[in-house]
Amino acid sequence: MASQGKKRVSATSNEQSIISRVSRSVSQSPILHQTQRVASDAAFVSKKLLRSTGRAAWIAGTTFLILVVPLIIEMDREQQFSDLELQQASLLGTAK
Amino acid sequence: MAGVVPPGTTTQSEAPTPTKEERVDYMNLPCPIPYEEIHREAFMSLKPELFEGMRFDFTKGLNPKFALSHSVYMGPTTIPSQSSETIKIPTAQYEFGANFLDPKLMLVGRLLTDGRLNARVKCDLTDNLSLKANAQLTNEPHMSHGIVYFDYKGKDYRTQFQMGTGALFGANYIQSVTPHLSLGGEVFWAGQHRKSGVGYAARYNTDKMVATGQVASTGMVALSYVQKVSEKVSLASDLMYNYMSREVSTSIGYDYILRQCRLRGKIDSNGCTSAFLEERLSMGLNFILSAEIDHSKKDYKFGFGLTVGE
Repeated sequence: MASQGKKRVSATSNEQSIISRVSRSVSQSPILHQTQRVASDAAFVSKKLLRSTGRAAWIAGTTFLILVVPLIIEMDREQQFSDLELQQASLLGTAK
Repeated sequence: MAGVVPPGTTTQSEAPTPTKEERVDYMNLPCPIPYEEIHREAFMSLKPELFEGMRFDFTKGLNPKFALSHSVYMGPTTIPSQSSETIKIPTAQYEFGANFLDPKLMLVGRLLTDGRLNARVKCDLTDNLSLKANAQLTNEPHMSHGIVYFDYKGKDYRTQFQMGTGALFGANYIQSVTPHLSLGGEVFWAGQHRKSGVGYAARYNTDKMVATGQVASTGMVALSYVQKVSEKVSLASDLMYNYMSREVSTSIGYDYILRQCRLRGKIDSNGCTSAFLEERLSMGLNFILSAEIDHSKKDYKFGFGLTVGE
């Protein structure tokens, strides 16, 4: 114990202990900095992408609602109307 | 510019196009469309009367020739403002109108609650010569104006001469060159604003499509194309380019004329999309819906209305 304590004391006397040197090398490594930069860039880009996708979806959705939905409804009604006429015509034709 | 289309002008009757022959008979070309109606198909398909708010129109015919109309409108009106924000003020107005329709004479008058009077006269003096007049009178001084048009219809050409208040003079001429193509030109001079201009127009139409182009020295170039895809559907597109101010805008739209309704939709390069639906609920009763979304200015306008009477 005492010898270990002495070893520790002698290690700290060399400016830095092994643990602090290892942890500093990990926290100051260029790989870590690069990874952090990439992660923050990715977060920024993905937030922008999400926002712009949201805006595009809104514009596309409302434009679709104004231009296409009435058209579908009206074409459906026209189809029903012409089906009804066809049915009536065939009914009158056979009832003759 | 003088090529403004007065809304609802009735057209002169045209001679029917000759049936297809191997040789084109250049002596018997059909009479062309009047110059101010060159863009008529594209205008009718792409520019419906969009409105915001509630509209109610009631037309009552007292005679086969005479009809009175009452119209109520309530809704926000946009005030032109210098800033980019749109300012809307709710307004309400009532309009009283009278129409007299004869084969030879048409008189239309409209009076609004704010004191404005619109009047239109169209009179066929002879078979070929007709007179039209538009007038708009207001309470504010110097804001009233009127224009008189003299139209002469020849065998395969039409010419028109216009005179208006504010020393506005104009003349235009359009000629059928082939059974499908007609070319025309116009000249106008506005004394009050000290402006004058020349313009040219061309129109090519077949049974299925109409293509028109118009250039004016005020800097406006307008091209339009309408294709009749089937007897119920037609698609239209147009392009407006101002070569003085270098602004261009284009729009593309559809026009579905079904038995029970008429639906027109359009999308614009200014980020504006609009739709207009007229639905026939029963004989003489029409229900109107109008929608206009401007994505770039974030301005949304929706309107509904009812039209009673023929």
